[in-house]
Amino acid sequence: MTNPFRPAPLTLAITTATILAAGCAQSPSSAQNTQPATRANVVEHYAGLAHANYEDALITARALDEATDQLIANPTDANLQAAKEAWLAARVPYQQSEVFRFGNAIVDDWEGQLNAWPLDEGLIDYVKPDEYQHEMGNAGATANIIASNSVTVGGETLDVSTLSPQLLADLNEVGGSEANVATGYHAIEFLLWGQDLHGFDAGAGERPVTDYATGADCTNGNCERRGEYLDAVTDLLVTDLEWMVAQWAPGKDGNYRDQLTAADASQGIQKMLFGMGSLSLGELAGERMKVALEANSYEDEHDCFSDNTHNSHYYNGQGIQNVYTGTYRRVDGSLVTGPSLSDLVEQANPELDARLNSQLDASMAALQKMKARAESSQDPMAFDEMIGPGNAEGEQIITNSIMALVEQTGSIEQAAHELGIAALSPDDAGHAF
Amino acid sequence: MKRLSQAVFLSMTALVLNVQAAAPDNASAQAGERAREIWHQQIEGGYQTLSEKAGEFAEHSRHWCADPATGSRSDVEQAWQQAFMAWQAVRFVDFGPIETDNRAWQLQFWPDPKNLIARKARYLLSADQAPTTDTIAGAGVAVQGFPMAEYLLFDEPFNRGDQALPAERSCQMLTAVASHIAANSEQQLSDWRAFEKHYIASEQYQDASVRAGMNALEILEERRLAQPMGLRGTGKRSAYVADAWRSGKSLATVEATVRGLKTHYLPGLELLLENSGQPGLADRIRGQFNEVLENFPALDTPMAPLLADDREFSRLQGLWVDVSQLTTLVNDQAAVAVGVVRGFNSSDGD
Repeated sequence: MTNPFRPAPLTLAITTATILAAGCAQSPSSAQNTQPATRANVVEHYAGLAHANYEDALITARALDEATDQLIANPTDANLQAAKEAWLAARVPYQQSEVFRFGNAIVDDWEGQLNAWPLDEGLIDYVKPDEYQHEMGNAGATANIIASNSVTVGGETLDVSTLSPQLLADLNEVGGSEANVATGYHAIEFLLWGQDLHGFDAGAGERPVTDYATGADCTNGNCERRGEYLDAVTDLLVTDLEWMVAQWAPGKDGNYRDQLTAADASQGIQKMLFGMGSLSLGELAGERMKVALEANSYEDEHDCFSDNTHNSHYYNGQGIQNVYTGTYRRVDGSLVTGPSLSDLVEQANPELDARLNSQLDASMAALQKMKARAESSQDPMAFDEMIGPGNAEGEQIITNSIMALVEQTGSIEQAAHELGIAALSPDDAGHAF
Repeated sequence: MKRLSQAVFLSMTALVLNVQAAAPDNASAQAGERAREIWHQQIEGGYQTLSEKAGEFAEHSRHWCADPATGSRSDVEQAWQQAFMAWQAVRFVDFGPIETDNRAWQLQFWPDPKNLIARKARYLLSADQAPTTDTIAGAGVAVQGFPMAEYLLFDEPFNRGDQALPAERSCQMLTAVASHIAANSEQQLSDWRAFEKHYIASEQYQDASVRAGMNALEILEERRLAQPMGLRGTGKRSAYVADAWRSGKSLATVEATVRGLKTHYLPGLELLLENSGQPGLADRIRGQFNEVLENFPALDTPMAPLLADDREFSRLQGLWVDVSQLTTLVNDQAAVAVGVVRGFNSSDGD
């Protein structure tokens, strides 16, 4: 992992050794950031952070595309394993980028094709019927595109005989159901891992590599079509990310970054804070953790096929901290730093800045515990085990993370107030462009 | 990532300092305290009704299940409905003791797009041991509240099957769930009473109280109406996204919530508005509550047929417009007038 765990500082000193060593904005000895932070340069740097983050998402998606091409050409256990590892690596930058979603309508409108969840996977491929609960009223939930030349959803018949990236994009949310996820990371995850039939017990999906075998070795039918699907859906992921990278690229007239940095800087600051707060509270603490925990519902587990949910949560949390500190550790290990929201809040209210920084550290520490427990070599406990009825230890781990996120969101609200950002309403976010 | 958020909340009120920086002057501090006294009393009345009705529901369930031949199923259904509507009236309160052990989620887990309720019911009804109150207490929020009781009483496929009520195992589950609801409702009433002093003395609860109504109206407009009506997201109309579709009571819950806000929330808000020199706005809000309520009882009808027919749909649109106007008056105008800023809530995200 490229982001070493940093313990919460107990003092008011807001910088940790890790950041100091890399030279961050708060460090007086820093050579690279001598400029005082202003709203304008903070928003400019935010755009740079987003660009670096999406570039990393693209780099790792290309590696995933190559690994899946290998798997399709030569379906061996080693190649399936390599494709899974490439998928896991691709999630690291992408989950950090989710903090850019809320507030930036251009991301929110686009991301449904990349990260929609939870999905009715029976739309895509075979499922075990008695272990499959789909969204109520979803006519596409058992369409099985891979096994069909045409699918009929809500009275509409679609020719799916040739599986192209464009076709899959058109099929996403077919029939008006958000659970009809034909594209993106979770569709790929399902194609690599398959259904997790273990419920609250240990174990993820166990799709056999022979699901991609040719001729008589093919298991579960339609192996060639399955390979075509995997090929098309990974190609689409790459082109979608290329588009988003271009939106955040510097020096391009009329792209999103150009508009964002040309607008009143306070609007950009509002988007940053809104993105942090929305991901922290409503989405990560609420939707992705509390619902799954309190309802004991593995249907509400985020990366349910691969059991990589702990990392999805961890890197979501990391993304929130990235935006506040203006720091991003790239997948090649290099560090992006610059003027940050933290600098601005420190100018206005150093005590609040110190508190929020230590709360961000505390939430990362809580998420790190979840990650460490899930990845323990001795006795791993995946997120879907943690949410099982009567698992007191798992419940405590998740509750600690939720509470830390709730606390930091309170300070994010105060930071918004401190910076004179009155409305955090989503209705104000995204309408400016 | 467009899944509908659980319309439930993670409150920060206990953790956040009041960010309305200026200390209130004496007159407005007194008005705030008076408003909290009114809110406390009004909400207590709502919890009192909930506790009574939930007790009656548990009693009717026990009675019917003990002797289905002499008891009446429709009495149980009626009692469920009255208790559920009593909950709708105080559902907006998202601070204080209702936060303990996720009591609000326990009473109503919603929305449930993946039909977790049915899955959990199947699981518990096929388990080796008959469900007891202890089973229910440890089985998670999808099992513990009104929607599970609704499933047992009203779900059509379930009630066509051989486990249909009053089958013994299903009856055991119904009575256990009903008694869990009753115990929670009674505890909530008693905790709310114990909360009185702290609530009235703590200025931070003024914002929390105003925001509770704001959040409830936002959820009502966006999640409970616009979403099933297909006015949001993918544009697909779906009755399953609404509350209480199994019993056909989605719109009745809207009425109960609005009536509850008018009874238990509005009086405290009015006092604050009058104190801020905005009595005219208070009048307009009261008038708009009445506008919304004029849609009833005509609209006390299942939602699905209204979604299926464009002419009927326009009646629903009329209600939605009235609710939207009410939301605008409270969440934009009144909130500004009394100095409350919308914070993050659980409906952020998608």
